Amino acid sequence: MATLWRRRERLLGVSGRLCRTVRALSGKNEYDLLVIGGGSGGLACAKEAAQFGRKVAVLDYVEPSPQGTKWGLGGTCVNVGCIPKKLMHQAALLGSALKDAQHYGWNIAQPVHHTWSVMAQAVQNYVKSLNWGHRVQLQDKKVKYFNMKGSFSDPHTIRGLTKGGKETIVTAENIVIATGGRPKYPTHIAGALAYGITSDDLFWLKESPGKTLVVGASYVSLECAGFLTGIGLDTTVMMRSIPLRGFDQQMASLVTEHMECYGTKFLKRCFPTKVEKLESNKLQVTWKNTDLGTEETDCFDTVMWAVGRAPDVKTLNLDAVGVKTNSETGKIIVDASEATSVPHIYAIGDITEGRPELTPTAIAAGKLLARRLFGQSSELMDYDNVPTTVFTPLEYGCVGLSEEAAVQCYGSDNIEMVCLREREQRILGLHFIGPNAGEVIQGFALGIKCGATYPQLMKTVGIHPTCAEEITKLHITKRSGLDATVTGC
Amino acid sequence: MGWEEKQVRGYSEFVRTAQHYHGRPIFALFCGDKDAEGKSWCPDCVTAEPVVRKELHNMPDESVFIYCLVGDRAYWKDPNNEFRKNLKLTAVPTLLKYGTPQKLVEEECFKAELVRMLFTED
Repeated sequence: MATLWRRRERLLGVSGRLCRTVRALSGKNEYDLLVIGGGSGGLACAKEAAQFGRKVAVLDYVEPSPQGTKWGLGGTCVNVGCIPKKLMHQAALLGSALKDAQHYGWNIAQPVHHTWSVMAQAVQNYVKSLNWGHRVQLQDKKVKYFNMKGSFSDPHTIRGLTKGGKETIVTAENIVIATGGRPKYPTHIAGALAYGITSDDLFWLKESPGKTLVVGASYVSLECAGFLTGIGLDTTVMMRSIPLRGFDQQMASLVTEHMECYGTKFLKRCFPTKVEKLESNKLQVTWKNTDLGTEETDCFDTVMWAVGRAPDVKTLNLDAVGVKTNSETGKIIVDASEATSVPHIYAIGDITEGRPELTPTAIAAGKLLARRLFGQSSELMDYDNVPTTVFTPLEYGCVGLSEEAAVQCYGSDNIEMVCLREREQRILGLHFIGPNAGEVIQGFALGIKCGATYPQLMKTVGIHPTCAEEITKLHITKRSGLDATVTGC
Repeated sequence: MGWEEKQVRGYSEFVRTAQHYHGRPIFALFCGDKDAEGKSWCPDCVTAEPVVRKELHNMPDESVFIYCLVGDRAYWKDPNNEFRKNLKLTAVPTLLKYGTPQKLVEEECFKAELVRMLFTED
C-alpha cells in the first residue's frame, strides 16, 4: 500500500495532495460508485447499484444554453429530448385529428387554433414533475445527489463545483461518465450564436416561436419542424444535403415528401451564410442555394440550429486522468464492457463512441454495468438490432439494417425488400412508415432478435384492419420493378 | 417571521385560503376527516401527520402550512370530487408545495428525509 502512495505522489499536483490527504484520512474511497451525469444512463446505473446496497452518488449539472435556458434532474431525454418532443408531436397529431373529426360527424368549428403557451406550460410542468420524481427516487434509494459540475482530479477523485463556485471533493472506487451531449452551434455563420436557438431552448419557450427556420437534416430538425408545422406555424427546413443520414434513404425521402405535402417548406441543397437581427426584431437569414448558385434571404421570428450534437467532455478534465476520446468526434472510447482506457472509469450513453444515442440503450447499458460491477453478472450490453423511431408527422420506425448498410455488408446481389439474405432468408432489417410506427416496430424487434426469417414472416397472420398487417404481406421486390401500391382491402 | 399554520376543511375553504396567501410559499397536507376522538378514517394520514409536523421548522421563512381535511370517506372515494378534479390529487395523505409539481403521496409522506427535501429544495 505504501509504495502505491509514493508512486502516485510523483504524478499528482496541488489538488492531488489534498485528495491524498482525504483518502489517507478515510483509508479508502468515499463511494463505491460515483456517476457524473444525471440523465437516462447515469440515473439508471446509480439506482441499480444502490439496489445492491452500495454507497452511490450522482453529480448532475446543467450548464445553461447560450440563450440562458436551463432545467432540472433527468438529462436530455426528460428535459429537452424525447419527452417534450413526443408531447409536442402528440399536440400536432391531435390538430390533424381535429381537422379529420368533422368528417366523422363531430361538430368542431374550423379552422382550429392552437395556443403555444398553453401547450408549453403543460409540457414544462410535466417535465418538472419528472425532475421531482427523479429527486424523490434518488433520495428514496439512498443515492447521494450533488447539483454540481464534476471534473477529474485523479482517477478516483472528482472535484464538484456548485453554481455559486463552492467546491466539494468526492472520491469513489468506480466512476461512470454519463454526461451526454449538447446541440452544436455552427461556427462560421455570423449571428448564429447570438440570434439562433437549439432544441435546448425550443421546448422551454414561453411564447410561440412564430415563423421558424430549422437548419439541419437530422431527425431533431425534421421532428421539430414537423410538430411546429402541425400546430399551425409557418415552418421551413434548410438542408445542405440528404435528409436523415444513416437511415434508409428510400424511407427518408418518403418522410420528407410527406412533410412537404403536410405544409413544411423545404430549402434543399442550401446552407446559411449569416443571420442578422432587424429593427423589427425579426431575424434575416441569408443563404446559398448550391443547385442554382444563387444567394437568397428571408425573415423569420426564430432560427433553430439542428446541425448535430457534441459530447459534453470539455470540462471533465479527462486529460488529467488519461481517458481516451475519439479525435474526430470527441466521444469517449469504450470497450464492450463500457470500460474506458482507465481502470475503474466507465462511460455510458451519448458520450460514448460508436453507440446509438438513445435513452433505452443508455438505461440498459447503465443497469448491466451496475450488475457487472456489484452483482456478479457478466452480461454485456447487446447493441445489435436496436429498434428506433423518428417521430415526424408521418412516423418512421425501424429495426436492423438499412438498405444501404445491408448492401455494404452483404453485397447488393443478396439484398431484397426488407433486406433479406439468401438460403434461410433471415430478416436483416424492417422499416415501417405510418401512424404509431414506434408501437408497430416494437413487436417486430423481438422477432428480429429471435432471428426471424422471411418464410416465417409470411406464415404470420396479420391483424385486420391495421397498418401493421402490411408487413406480413410484403412480397414485391424493388428489383422486380413492380408497383407496390396496395388497392384492395 | 417564521411560518404559520392554517387549518381548513373542504375544497372551497382551501382555495380561498391559498389565494389569500398568494405570493408566499404554501405547503399543504391533505388528510381524511377526523372523528370526535380526533382520529382520521385514513390510517396512512394518521401515520403521516406527526412525521410532517416534525419537519415543519424546515420550511422557508414566510411559509404558510395549510392543514386541509378533505371530507369523509365517501366524498373522497368519489372520482369526481373537487380535490381530484381540480388539484389532481390521487390519494390521501398528499403533501404538496402549492403551485409546483412537487408533491409526496401516501407512504412517501412517512419518510422524514423526503418531507424535509420537499420543504427545503427548489
